[in-house]
Amino acid sequence: MSKIKKLNKNKAKLDMEKVVMGKIKSDEIKMKPKWLFVLGSTFIMAGLVGLTVGAIFLTNLTIFIIKKRGPGYGRLDLMLNSFPIWIPILAVLGVILGIWMLKKYDFSYKKNFVLIILSFIASVIIAGLLVDQLGLNTIWSHQGPMRMFYQQFQSPQDNSQKVRENGRLYNIHGNGY
Amino acid sequence: MKDITKLTDEKIVELVCKKDKELYSQIIKRYQDKLIRYANYLVGEDNYAADIVQESFIKAYINLNGFNTKKKFSSWIYRIVHNEAMNSISKQKKHIPLYKDIDFDSGINLEEDLIKKELKLHANNCLQQMQKIYSEPLALYFLEEKSYGEISDILRIPVGTVGTRINRAKVIMQKICQK
Repeated sequence: MSKIKKLNKNKAKLDMEKVVMGKIKSDEIKMKPKWLFVLGSTFIMAGLVGLTVGAIFLTNLTIFIIKKRGPGYGRLDLMLNSFPIWIPILAVLGVILGIWMLKKYDFSYKKNFVLIILSFIASVIIAGLLVDQLGLNTIWSHQGPMRMFYQQFQSPQDNSQKVRENGRLYNIHGNGY
Repeated sequence: MKDITKLTDEKIVELVCKKDKELYSQIIKRYQDKLIRYANYLVGEDNYAADIVQESFIKAYINLNGFNTKKKFSSWIYRIVHNEAMNSISKQKKHIPLYKDIDFDSGINLEEDLIKKELKLHANNCLQQMQKIYSEPLALYFLEEKSYGEISDILRIPVGTVGTRINRAKVIMQKICQK
């Protein structure tokens, strides 16, 4: 290496320390406070938990609707028209947001990314099926704060109740008639 | 207070965050040579590399509270330089010749390590012709003497991938160098 080049390089090194430390001492640059990072991590975790719970719920609801209205539900276009497209769209958006968050932040950088995504999708579907198998959909559609929400996806026959009165069987619909 | 030169990077960072911000100069002293050399692998120009490293030191200081002192500081700061170099390259949108006129000065006496440096300089010509995804882990492993784990931390790829890329890079290098 030539002498001039070496001298320039040494000067650059000295300047670098001087410049950076000068900015620090003059408070031109300041450290971000610790709480900001703690809050950021908390938001990420809460966001991921929310996304997972939301995705499980939406998957479960999709299964519920398919079971209620099923493949035999009217003509194909009618079925497509009445199918709540927003559910899978929201689920896919949720997964995309999750991927973006995982890529943006550091905590999973050493993991196999494809495996994480596949595991996430698989666990959401399994959890959705499990919720359905456990009969939680039936419980939620008949009682609790989710009742009204579920009932809008049920067919009119399901909203009716079979009542036995004076030995005869009556169908009582949601409107009471 | 203990002799500052005997403290680990992580301990110094802890002290910078809690007590004395002026100790950050110690971090700069420890890393500037290595980081300029590393940035040089990526951008191929001394002054440009120095700018990148300076900007990286500033960014590292601003985000120092976000660094987990249980992890290795060197991997963290190398990663910042990597990101800064990549952003800078993509911003400029011009091709900067890689590995051109590289100085492999590690601060060690030239006479002591002449053969190794000759090898490094020879390797440099071959590295120029390789894709960055292969040349970067190879340079970090052989020229910066980083472990697979550290390279994995710096490049944010699994350790297995580091091994695969280095092995593939060796094969590519062999082919290129034998031409």
